Amino acid sequence: MLFNSINFAIFLPIVFILYWLVINKNLRLQNSLLLIASYFFYACWDWRFLFLLMFSTLLDYYTGLKMQNAESLNRKGFWFWLSITVNLGFLGVFKYYNFFAESFTETISHFGLQINPATLNIILPVGISFYTFHGLSYVIDIYKNRIKAERNFVDYAVFVSFFPLLVAGPIERATHLLPQIKKERIFNYSKAVDGLKQILWGLFKKIVIADNCAQFANQIFGNSTDYSGSTLVLGAVFFTFQIYGDFSGYSDIALGTARLFGIELLRNFAFPYFSRDIAEFWRRWHISLSSWFRDYLYIPLGGSKGGMWMIIRNTFIIFIVSGFWHGANWTFIAWGALNAIYFLPLLVTKQNRNNLEIVAKGKLLPTFKELSQIAITFGLTVFAWIFFRAESVGHALSYISGIFSKSLFTIPKFPDIKPAIVTITILMFFVLIEWLGREQQYAIKKLGIKWKRPVRWAFYILLFFIFGMYMNTEETPFIYFQF
Amino acid sequence: MRKFFKNIFFFVFFLIIAYPFMIFLSGYLPIPQTFKPNLNYRIGSYGHMFTRIKELNQLNGDVDILFLGSSHSYRGFDPRNFNDKKVFNLGSSSQTPIQTKFLLKRYLNKINPKMIIYDVYPGTFSIDGVESSLDLIANDKNDLESIKMAFELNNIKIYNTLIYAGFADFFNLNKNFVEPIKKGEDTYISGGFVENKIHYYKFDNYSKREWTFKEEQVKAFQEIISLLKKKKLKTILVYAPITPRLYNSFTNNNFLESTIIKRNHLEYYDFNNLMKLNDSLYFYDTNHLNLNGVKLFNKKLIETLKL
Repeated sequence: MLFNSINFAIFLPIVFILYWLVINKNLRLQNSLLLIASYFFYACWDWRFLFLLMFSTLLDYYTGLKMQNAESLNRKGFWFWLSITVNLGFLGVFKYYNFFAESFTETISHFGLQINPATLNIILPVGISFYTFHGLSYVIDIYKNRIKAERNFVDYAVFVSFFPLLVAGPIERATHLLPQIKKERIFNYSKAVDGLKQILWGLFKKIVIADNCAQFANQIFGNSTDYSGSTLVLGAVFFTFQIYGDFSGYSDIALGTARLFGIELLRNFAFPYFSRDIAEFWRRWHISLSSWFRDYLYIPLGGSKGGMWMIIRNTFIIFIVSGFWHGANWTFIAWGALNAIYFLPLLVTKQNRNNLEIVAKGKLLPTFKELSQIAITFGLTVFAWIFFRAESVGHALSYISGIFSKSLFTIPKFPDIKPAIVTITILMFFVLIEWLGREQQYAIKKLGIKWKRPVRWAFYILLFFIFGMYMNTEETPFIYFQF
Repeated sequence: MRKFFKNIFFFVFFLIIAYPFMIFLSGYLPIPQTFKPNLNYRIGSYGHMFTRIKELNQLNGDVDILFLGSSHSYRGFDPRNFNDKKVFNLGSSSQTPIQTKFLLKRYLNKINPKMIIYDVYPGTFSIDGVESSLDLIANDKNDLESIKMAFELNNIKIYNTLIYAGFADFFNLNKNFVEPIKKGEDTYISGGFVENKIHYYKFDNYSKREWTFKEEQVKAFQEIISLLKKKKLKTILVYAPITPRLYNSFTNNNFLESTIIKRNHLEYYDFNNLMKLNDSLYFYDTNHLNLNGVKLFNKKLIETLKL
């Protein structure tokens, strides 16, 4: 079930009404409802993978309890490694098996040897990377004695499979989400309205921004050899907005939906394209994943405490693993490595924590210096996204060589240039709203808060009109579902 | 909680009023089409549907043969070639089974044909039918059946266009619209045919491929068959000629014949196998007969069906 589908528009109000009107004030029933709704939501994709989700949930719940009750460190370690191995095993088989098998065959063939690997026709269970990481953080936190194991299975299962975050995050932590699940929730008018506003803005990002940019990005990336350098740049910029609109739109809908049920999820995006350097970008892009890798990989590896080589090594590891997490393709690894290269100079010169606050805080416009920094960071990001979007590393390299040609300084030209101009106009409106709301959790949170209700409602109705007039005519899945 | 639901109710209420009004304004004001991609109201568009419907409404019924299908129908069955028969061609651009079903439900009783000849070009089963629906919405009246068709296709472009059409019908905005009989190289011929200035096609070669058949189109086709059987109407299905090169590039031209047509024991003729036409001499593009080709095809049809 997609967030941007009619089915979800029916599903959400039903669950909401049952939750607040029918079983209000009964926490156990509310959590049970959330679990049933979440499993139903997941089963709408492919009910067979529901068993995998249930098994993964049961495994981590059980090993969590066993670790807590273990009489010796060895016993605790056994249960810990069992959970880690099985979780990563599932991820490895479903997500990476074919990649490793094919890469191994290719490597062997360079030595003149031919083997026929048994590649499997595997469907990637939607959300496996996300719920596996939920489970992993829970198990690691128990092992490290940061939290106690959850005894109530329903509460734990809701933590893993709460439907707004189940398939594409944010990647939650037990320390943040579980206490909310266990606490009685009271309906709050302001929070519910805020949730609806965030859903509305998320839908705008997905339906209007991402889906419209996608058609041009797909057209240009799909026929990259036919286009001029300037058109290829435009294609990369379209993809840059597509991926932001798609993923941050999903996150907004997830956060807004959770807020309707009285639950606050971790913030996942904080206006990353207004960042002044790459370090700031990574503090603002897919925050829940970046912080997960920081806490469960970078810091255990020694973080920035060791010598220079250790810092460089750890930085490369975290970015490459992060790239690999996105998918079994060398393009994601190249994308991760490129970001590590961007990041390293800042880290080595200890400039990586220069820009902690949002740009031009309290001001309407940025300074010229800030604007230049934003433009450079944006340009670097656009360049890196080429690897992320390309079909293969070869495709990415040919795309880049196409950009750096004489035709870079010509006017972009491709068959759908007129609709593209309309999309660029909408993008300008979008960037303006995002800029004005950059100090808030999401762009329209405080927009129009002092306006009279008819004016505010007119703005929301205008957004609905833009949906209707510019949305893609087919429901398109979110990019991050494939991860 | 009550405040929340009350405000939601009022917001939805205002949205339901404001959204159609904004759609109407977008359609009414001279805004370039590029800026309103999901509103496509094209009265008097390609294929003379407006004139065809106008003529249909003036028919006295009791037609001998009703032709149905896509442009292959309204460009392939020329009433002038069926001298002693009263025929009407209700083909429309890219008409898929979903629109055919819609048109039959709306007009079958009025036309009251003795026989139906339905061109089942496989290409119409592989498309969603949005373009053809937009054509019908803009050029024909709109009623409950139009809304049903919109829900069946569930496409925002159709909903928006239907909303605008509702306003256009209500305010009678098209009362002064006159569709020229001759548009570009097309001339409307009484009886629903559209004659194209004679051209000769310079053929292309194609790689091998397969037709795809959308589930919803196959379902609509089955419903058409059931409707016509219920009415006990003599129905003949044909596959009008397309360029042999194009025809031979598809490996599953007999899909419908071997499945639904066979299952329903229907009379079917694939004229691509019954006659050999030269790609250039008898076609003006890859899948439309030119006037010379139409004459030959209609002659062969009359002979084959003993009309």
